[in-house]
Amino acid sequence: MKNSTLIKGTAAIAVGAALLLGGGGTLAAWNDSVSAAPGTITAGNLDMAKTAAGVWKDRANNTIDDISAYRVVPGDKLTFTQDVDVTLTGDKMAASITALGTGEQNGFISSNVVVTGPSLTAGGAPIANHLTQSADVQKVTATITFEFLASTSGQVDVNKTYNFGNVGFTLQQVVAGAGLVPKQS
Amino acid sequence: MRIKRTLQAAGLIAAAVILGLLTVQGTYALWGATAVASPGAVSSASFTVNLTAAPSGQVTTMTLPDGRPANVALTPGSALLPGTSVHGGVVVTNSTDAGGTFNTVATVGQPTVANASGGSLAQYLSVNAKTAASTGDCSTSSGYAPLQAAGFSSPPVPKAGSTVLCFQVALSPSAPSTVKGQAVNITLPLTVRQCGVPDGC
Repeated sequence: MKNSTLIKGTAAIAVGAALLLGGGGTLAAWNDSVSAAPGTITAGNLDMAKTAAGVWKDRANNTIDDISAYRVVPGDKLTFTQDVDVTLTGDKMAASITALGTGEQNGFISSNVVVTGPSLTAGGAPIANHLTQSADVQKVTATITFEFLASTSGQVDVNKTYNFGNVGFTLQQVVAGAGLVPKQS
Repeated sequence: MRIKRTLQAAGLIAAAVILGLLTVQGTYALWGATAVASPGAVSSASFTVNLTAAPSGQVTTMTLPDGRPANVALTPGSALLPGTSVHGGVVVTNSTDAGGTFNTVATVGQPTVANASGGSLAQYLSVNAKTAASTGDCSTSSGYAPLQAAGFSSPPVPKAGSTVLCFQVALSPSAPSTVKGQAVNITLPLTVRQCGVPDGC
């Protein structure tokens, strides 16, 4: 019984091989080829670098030389500006800047403080937080705003500290045009 | 039975893996670069108001270290006669360590005049207030106005500045002799608030 199965299997393989040999004859027919030159695909670039230390300013646009010695009161609105060089190349390249770590070690009651940003300017003029590709390095200023709300009552939040520590400005690619992958959530 | 359980477990693991991948896929899909800045720490100011009473000379912060409001005694020295008045004052100093502008306004509320030892002197007294450049000016009768329910407010006091609130207690000329030797306790609620944010007061 076992030998019968073996024989049948061998026979089937032999028939298959014969069929392959028969079909091989098509290789001998006419064929032609052409050459194309697709060229080289080069990836773009996305990079961001801090160019100087950030600067704190008050509501009146006065520079605060030493933020550790400055004491905020309700109604104060401080801005922290950071100059960065942004490199974006790629035909469909686009990116936005986000700030991470702005809520670290916050000693204030959250309802009394509003931290917003980053908002962007270039050459002193506001720009949308949707940067697109450029052959040149883009000089961008990212601004974070810290507002100690005037609605703070009594003696709430006196002598408190909001430690920003290290804030990471992240330049994140976003999908700008057709043909790119759908935006990842 | 065992095969069924194995298949169920495998299905659960597969579902978990797919769910996990769907959840985090956005974080690695596109390019990103980060530059780290060090903004440092922002600290809030103290709200310190110092009070110096005259003529008692008592000095205190408006809020005691344990958070309770302070009581400051003016203690006029002279006796009160019908048709005369006594004076006292308090220097209110804005001693905040705020980095920027920090203006305050001191407001005195309506006084509470309580007879001591069951007397009747209170009804013959009037309490007036004014601001002055120094406590020495409190003895000058001009400029006093009755303390109303709305209270009496000082002009804005800038950071490190001060204002002087003077108080006058006058005894009516028609006070009867029955109030002779009586005493009253006068309580003046003093409130200091920040003003003028974000603009001026």
